[in-house]
Amino acid sequence: MGEGKKDFRVVSGAWELSGFNFRVEGRGMRLMMRGMKEGKFTGIRCGSCNMVYLPGPFYCRKCLVEIDEPVDVSDHGTIRSFTATMSDIRGNPLAEPQIALMVQLDGCDSWIMGVLRDVDWREVRIGQRVKVRWKPPEERTGSLQDMDCFEYE
Amino acid sequence: MRDVAIIGVGYCPVFVSKRNDVSIPEMISEAVWSAYRNCGLTPEDMDAFTFGNMHTFEGVNMPHLWSADHITALGKPIMRIATGGTTGMSAFHCAYYHVASGLYDTVMTVTFEKHSEGDAQVGLAGIITPEIMTMLSLGIDLTGGSGMCGLGGGSAGGISFQATSYLHRSGAGIEHIDAQAALERRNAAKNPYAHLKDPECTAEKIAATPMVSYPIRFGHICPTTDGATVCILASAEKAAKVADKAAWIHAVANCTSDPTTGNLIEGLITDPAEQMSCQIAAKKAYERAGIEDPKKEIDLVEIYNGFAHQTLMYLEKLGLCEAGEAHRMLERGETEIDGRLPVNASGGVVSTNSIGTSALNRVTECALQIMGKAEGGHQVPKKVRKALAHGWGGLMQYNTVTILGDAPLKR
Repeated sequence: MGEGKKDFRVVSGAWELSGFNFRVEGRGMRLMMRGMKEGKFTGIRCGSCNMVYLPGPFYCRKCLVEIDEPVDVSDHGTIRSFTATMSDIRGNPLAEPQIALMVQLDGCDSWIMGVLRDVDWREVRIGQRVKVRWKPPEERTGSLQDMDCFEYE
Repeated sequence: MRDVAIIGVGYCPVFVSKRNDVSIPEMISEAVWSAYRNCGLTPEDMDAFTFGNMHTFEGVNMPHLWSADHITALGKPIMRIATGGTTGMSAFHCAYYHVASGLYDTVMTVTFEKHSEGDAQVGLAGIITPEIMTMLSLGIDLTGGSGMCGLGGGSAGGISFQATSYLHRSGAGIEHIDAQAALERRNAAKNPYAHLKDPECTAEKIAATPMVSYPIRFGHICPTTDGATVCILASAEKAAKVADKAAWIHAVANCTSDPTTGNLIEGLITDPAEQMSCQIAAKKAYERAGIEDPKKEIDLVEIYNGFAHQTLMYLEKLGLCEAGEAHRMLERGETEIDGRLPVNASGGVVSTNSIGTSALNRVTECALQIMGKAEGGHQVPKKVRKALAHGWGGLMQYNTVTILGDAPLKR
């Protein structure tokens, strides 16, 4: 114990009083998850600037006008950025580093994130083409987990 | 608007991992009295206070009221600002507004962080809620390792995407991030108020540290620091009466963009290395400061770099070099303490990060360099007429800029 520390009383500060409940699935998110059950992505296009968002907000963030036009987005795309994480969320080392991607899907302006599997992380490059590996149809429930991961085209 | 000067700076005696010898208000108080001593003022001179501290890192919601007596604010106006990593500079901007508006003549900005008594990870979890909402809305499932979970190793994740994109766009290599981190740890060794000091640090030494989340190594990442910083601002009339030296505020500016990763402006979506809000804030600040060519007119820079690649990336975003040129400047030694454009002579945030203070320290370091008062060997040899301080924070998408000069701005 360091000099001076004995002058202080340490008070434990862990409180378990309540939790928060945030609603995240909006109009565009429901549209996207409904499509994912069928193994496809549905975004929303802005009729003013033609920007395509996935999942779509109900207004165009650029034009600030209401948007609601559903549009198909491909499940193939291009790696725009990536990282390989060496530990899990609690800091425990992973036997195999997990590759996480930012991907621009064909026909979409916004990017989504996802895991890349079956690839040596040292070989991943920006610009590499990838596609979505879907879960089998019988396992899909209309949730974000209907997508298994990304894999090379 | 009135001219406003920085006339006093105060730091707590040391910036270290654990200040076990003082409580939070006591540590803040050290910086307050240091500032009074450094400019010869007393509490009677102070008209108002602004206060900056990261949200929830110490689990204290009203630290400015808790420590009101220790910062000599009893019976005076005070307000607290919290904008993430930029907190210290936002609190400083608020003090500037106080004085520039003519409402107050002398205002003190007080900032602190005492990481050792809190939990930054818990704090980040609270702050990051809107970010998580955005991630969920982007289809990132946080509940498991399968599906679209993109977080992996946690908080370093977002920054890693930024660093990968920066390297790709600039042509720099990971070895440049190593060299930048090493330069700042060496600079920190000359700054008595820095935390991670290593006078012999080399790129090779940084390169030997473990990879956390590609391309970010342990040696590229800031520490968690206990520390407090105080800055005293005054009107030109007050400064003329009481200050022997001053640094003049030529411009303040800030800008936000999309909480996703900070880039949903001008149609550029989700590239975390775009940092359009930084470019907009810098442009506005240069306009306000009457700066036409920042590459020529800015003499010294302090950049907010929680991670070492950000020093290089923000040099480009701030328009202080061309895109892809920052790592060349580093190679040529131009950004060293005795270089053409000293960058983070203090050692930067990557060497010292008591978060509430970190963006204010960028300003106070610029001010001390202009006044010729930087201690411990990190005063730059060149004459500093104009300096730029940068802050980065929010949910990765918020940037602040302050430009200081050695004389009042010619309007």
